[in-house]
Amino acid sequence: MAADVHNKGGATWDTAKGGLAAVERMRSDRSDSPTPGLVEGTEPGAGQEHTMFVHAQSFEDLTADSESNPDAELTGNRRSAVGDSEEVQEGQGVELQGGSTGNEAGEQKQWAGQQRGLRPAREEDVTGEAWRAHRKHVFVLSEAGKPIYTRYGTEEALSTIMGVMMALVSFVEAEKNIIRSIHADGYRVVFLHKSPLVLVGVSRSSQSERELSRELQYVYYQIVSLLTLTQLDHVFRHKQNYDLRRLLAGSEHLTDNLLRMLEYDPGLLLNAVTSLPLASVARDALSAGLQVARAKSLVFSILLAGSRLVTLVRKKDQYLHHMDLHLLFNLVGSSSSFREGEGWTPICLPKFNTAGFFHAHISYLEPASNLCLILVSTDREDFFNLSDCRRRFLERLRRRSAYKALQEALHSPTYPVSQVGIPELWHFVYKSKSSGLYTSPELPVPYQGEEEHERLIRLYRYLHSCLHHPTRPLRSMYRSGNTENLFAWATSGFELYLCFSPLGTKALAMSAVTKLLKWIRKEEDRLFILNPLTY
Amino acid sequence: MSIKKVSLTDNEGKNGTSRNVLERCASVNEYFDISFKVMLLGDSAVGKTCILVRFKDGAFLGGNFIATVGIDFRNKVVTVDNMKVKLQIWDTAGQERFRSVTHAYYRDAQALLLLYDITRKSSFDNIRAWLTEIHEYAQKDVVIMLLGNKSDMAAERVIKHEDGQKLAKEYGVPFMETSAKTGVNVELAFHAIARELKHRAAEQPHEPKFQIHDYIESQKEKSTCCGGLM
Repeated sequence: MAADVHNKGGATWDTAKGGLAAVERMRSDRSDSPTPGLVEGTEPGAGQEHTMFVHAQSFEDLTADSESNPDAELTGNRRSAVGDSEEVQEGQGVELQGGSTGNEAGEQKQWAGQQRGLRPAREEDVTGEAWRAHRKHVFVLSEAGKPIYTRYGTEEALSTIMGVMMALVSFVEAEKNIIRSIHADGYRVVFLHKSPLVLVGVSRSSQSERELSRELQYVYYQIVSLLTLTQLDHVFRHKQNYDLRRLLAGSEHLTDNLLRMLEYDPGLLLNAVTSLPLASVARDALSAGLQVARAKSLVFSILLAGSRLVTLVRKKDQYLHHMDLHLLFNLVGSSSSFREGEGWTPICLPKFNTAGFFHAHISYLEPASNLCLILVSTDREDFFNLSDCRRRFLERLRRRSAYKALQEALHSPTYPVSQVGIPELWHFVYKSKSSGLYTSPELPVPYQGEEEHERLIRLYRYLHSCLHHPTRPLRSMYRSGNTENLFAWATSGFELYLCFSPLGTKALAMSAVTKLLKWIRKEEDRLFILNPLTY
Repeated sequence: MSIKKVSLTDNEGKNGTSRNVLERCASVNEYFDISFKVMLLGDSAVGKTCILVRFKDGAFLGGNFIATVGIDFRNKVVTVDNMKVKLQIWDTAGQERFRSVTHAYYRDAQALLLLYDITRKSSFDNIRAWLTEIHEYAQKDVVIMLLGNKSDMAAERVIKHEDGQKLAKEYGVPFMETSAKTGVNVELAFHAIARELKHRAAEQPHEPKFQIHDYIESQKEKSTCCGGLM
């Protein structure tokens, strides 16, 4: 299969896979780009005033080592105000877990060991071929080599193998080196050491080492979001061989679900979220409703329809990171316990602050609908205030026509690609960089099965890794194959991934892009959230 | 604060208990005369959520284990002597990492249902630790009830009925065995709580005190033969 690289000058090379020629990244020549609106902030879907999220250069931002230098991550970002935890607290105090664990340390002793979350599906023979045959394994262990999590099988059965993993990490680190990966026999073993945890991914897929490492980071942040880094450090400082599964009991399915999301959700790949298509009048009315139903401790009000964002209202100067939002999506999506009643749970948003917990009020607006309201507060004691915010929001909502529009929109949470009017176009993913939102039509017939769906995402992931190659990033790329033709294009304003019928041509793909961008511009009111509000 | 706290010391019963404390209920247009907060406690996977769902919807949540995240708040209105009593029920996660958030709401609760699993010894052994916590964080006059859940699982039973009874006696709390699966004693547990709380709220010097122990004994469905035999 030939990969075809499209440079700005129009020159193309046919190169062997994996040996793609470097493209010079000329940042100064945006102005003479062929399509208007390629520049960040003016692309289709760009918010009109403020962004809702921490402005992340998606991939690079995530892979930067945020712990060692939290400021470095933020300096390049436009208007980013997050990261400085003092700013957040404003005297209300995000609860620091470090203090309370101190008190509880002694108290914990009187509790007999609790049994762990029951995961009957896990009982799998870890010495069998079936276990080895899984496409991707993920292991988490402590620095003492104690198992914390495994994607398949039980941790107990894998303590030896995890011991070996820790031995490898320690052996290399003894020489003041860091083990990153092992490539052998078609397998990639990727290591991520984030003290006090060690994460190991083992993959048979063609996924790049960088991608795998990024997925491990997600798992790491998932664990931090349950406990806070402060508590993690505290626990292991006191007892090196602590069995962390005790504190994580019942959360295995969260990590399981996160790993599944990483396989099929383009949002996690692009570090963006998608929104429910909705007339902007209705969306603005909903945002205004959330804005009015505020409380002093409230930092974010998020309305979701399934895994789609309806709207997000935030405290002034506080931005949410995509990764934190995905962790919230994961929490809501993996538990049916919020379906009825109102949930109240501590959650650490690690990209915001790894040291403290927020408290999230989570409820579905109606038991049967998939409209979920998440109110994120800084105050552990504020349940009743937030419950009241929810009540006020609902009351106001029911009186307005926006609710009807919303319920109608729920019936068609997506759109067919035929609306764009390009017959050869099968599917696409468009991400507006400045808003951090992406849009994508429903999957066409050939990709509706689970296997094919994941395959398409893997293809996009491959394109993505070429556009974001650490040393030789491509700006655009055309790849024709037996089952589909693919095209990817990144500008400073957007990233675009397209999937065409294999009968299409490259020239046709080029003209389709222009047409698609025009269509997105025309529909941006509905597909994106253009007027995000603050309290 | 939307939900008016009904204080137990408030002398609501001055002119009879019928004075309506009409409060707006967020979920449905259900009116009630008085409301109380009840909290479900116990180790993870003892069946707290299942008990609640059985009581609220009359159904059994079989199949997969779904861990509650944090705490979960639901309402149910029951009728006690022609009076509508709204129970605001906190379902809590049993896992250790949620302790701090449950602690914060102990003191709001007027009644606590403390559960263990009759098929798991560790959950029974932890009851003492739970009671220590309760004494530390909850109100002094909180109503406590001990429940041994999963009484339908006779074959796997490891905690005898008498063991539960003995422990309950030691702490002076009412006790019964329940089954969320079959529904045995589930209604009774909540109704006894509602009755006790209502009587406390309306207590008058001349009225005889409501005897929750006696009430339970008189209403209890004996959980078949297995309780006594083992």
